[in-house]
Amino acid sequence: MNDFKLVIRNLLGSRSRFALTLVGITLGITSLVVMMSLGTGLRAQIDKQAADLGANLVVTPKGWCAYEQVKVLSGSQLPDAIPAEELTAIESVEGISVLPYLTVGSAVDNEPVPVTGIRVAETAETKRWAVASGEAPAEDSRGILAGSAIADSFDLAPGDHLTLRGTEFVVTGVLEATGTGDDGVLFIPLAVAQEVYETDGRISFAAVQVEDITQVELYAQRIADAANVAVVSDRQLLASVLSVVNTVSTTLRIIAAVAVLTAAFGIINTMLMATFERRREIGIMKSIGSSNARIFRTFMAEAAAYGVIGGVVGLVVGSVASRLITPYIAQNEFTAFVGGARVQAVPPLGDMALILGGAVVVATLAGVYPAMRAARLTPVEAISYE
Amino acid sequence: MSSPGVMTLRDVHKTYNGRGVPVEALRGVDLEIGAGSFTCLIGPSGHGKSTLLHLLGGLDRPTAGSVTVLGEQVGRMTDVELARFRATRVGFVFQFFNLLKGLTVAENVELAMMYAGTPVRQQKTRVHDLLEAVGLAEKRRARANELSGGQMQRVAIARALANNPDVLLLDEPTGNLDSASEAEVMAILDDLHAQGRTIVMVTHSSEIAARAERIVEVRDGRIAS
Ligand SMILES: Nc1ncnc2c1ncn2[C@@H]1O[C@H](COP(=O)(O)OP(=O)(O)OP(=O)(O)O)[C@@H](O)[C@H]1O
Ligand SMILES: [Mg+2]
Repeated sequence: MNDFKLVIRNLLGSRSRFALTLVGITLGITSLVVMMSLGTGLRAQIDKQAADLGANLVVTPKGWCAYEQVKVLSGSQLPDAIPAEELTAIESVEGISVLPYLTVGSAVDNEPVPVTGIRVAETAETKRWAVASGEAPAEDSRGILAGSAIADSFDLAPGDHLTLRGTEFVVTGVLEATGTGDDGVLFIPLAVAQEVYETDGRISFAAVQVEDITQVELYAQRIADAANVAVVSDRQLLASVLSVVNTVSTTLRIIAAVAVLTAAFGIINTMLMATFERRREIGIMKSIGSSNARIFRTFMAEAAAYGVIGGVVGLVVGSVASRLITPYIAQNEFTAFVGGARVQAVPPLGDMALILGGAVVVATLAGVYPAMRAARLTPVEAISYE
Repeated sequence: MSSPGVMTLRDVHKTYNGRGVPVEALRGVDLEIGAGSFTCLIGPSGHGKSTLLHLLGGLDRPTAGSVTVLGEQVGRMTDVELARFRATRVGFVFQFFNLLKGLTVAENVELAMMYAGTPVRQQKTRVHDLLEAVGLAEKRRARANELSGGQMQRVAIARALANNPDVLLLDEPTGNLDSASEAEVMAILDDLHAQGRTIVMVTHSSEIAARAERIVEVRDGRIAS
């Protein structure tokens, strides 16, 4: 017999108690993992999205808030709000190249799908798109270049016909997966989009590349002078989007913390029950020579073991769960990012270690009070009653 | 320090301060128990027999007076010293609930050796001899809660002997057993006595008490005879 074996025996002594406590801890850790990986996935995806925007500056209508700026990155539908003459004015600024976007919506098989009007050739080049099958549509044709994910989900292949806004389109090409929001979008030529959606030449926003990257601020000023629009740098955009995301992931973390606290109280409860149920056993252990300190250590080790086992199981279950859950949560503007981040939905190794360490610390702390109660019992009290 | 007996009690008082009124369980006990003797404590229920035995075994400290066992003052020891005392100097057997139910027979006995600091390998060899001596060697892998009452008490005795103590204290060890099991346990105790161990046992059975060398009656928290 050794201390380790004794702890294992005590844990397994009451299997249902062991199992129930473990389920509680596992649930807590699982939700922590899911929440954290969503948060991490969200952020990683936004970084990638911003990089793939291929722009140094983003031109938006005046007065957009962070929520609308998020939509620039996620590719969802935006109000069409920069008039044609402003776009012309922007394009007249020296030293920049402009990629206008018109984000609109449509439905395929009664499901809403994002549709974006672009200058096909220029955008494809800037974003370094690769066409997986077929080819990009000509600028004035009613052709569709489908993102890989949306092509998958609607089973689209070159030659297929789709009706957008009552107008017949042909899928001319399907893109290779990019891992960004672009995967979920149907791209059509900008001019055609403006005509079919009757936007009167308006666009939603424009991505701008500058010739001299060191002069970004200067170009921004020039654009703002030339046209009645708001200009943000990609970095500002990223910052404001991240601030929104941070609130979201802080909320996620608070929820997870509550789950973990609940699990901790589960441990306290279990351990207190164990102290009570095992009064007699504690008395026997003391009567055959266990010191108070040793009883304390035995109970603490049991609590810590709950943390270790629950932590490991929770990490595994949580990682699997967050992979399974992510697609279902990826429905609104913020979490939409995660949709593209299929690969990302597991917390990084450092976070995992942190979670495991945290689980052990919380479980051990939860064991302190019950273990003290157990240690304080005198052998006579423990044995002579009931 | 040489004391005339292995166990000496001088004007021992024990008061329990539980909830409600304090209970004076012992009110001035003077007692001397010689080395190698076999003593039975008898007396009416609730008059302090178990309390007295607990003090001898270092399970509790006296409220006043001195309890000296094997030259050590039970009342003056720290928790750690008391734990060590219980592990190595005395062996204790209760009437009920002696064993840890989740452990096997062998593990129950080994646990006592673990607390005394015996290395695992030595535990294994010794546990075999101990169980052999109480006739339960073949049950060593059985769970404690799969045993009969008599078998449990024999395991408890084996455990009490695990660290080879000079003194064996038993609180109504046969109170819960049928006569066959009682005879088995008593035969083991007679053997141990013959080997020179000091035995103090609480019993309600005059038949069993008659086998002891000495009968001490506890009444109203004092020694009556
Ligand atoms: N832990 C305790 N707390 C409070 N009172 C106690 C405690 N243990 C015993 N007592 C009280 O002390 C008195 C003596 O109890 P003790 O157990 O020593 O009697 P006993 O002679 O062993 O009785 P029995 O033959 O029924 O076992 C009783 O009145 C009992 O209620
Ligand atoms: Mg009693």
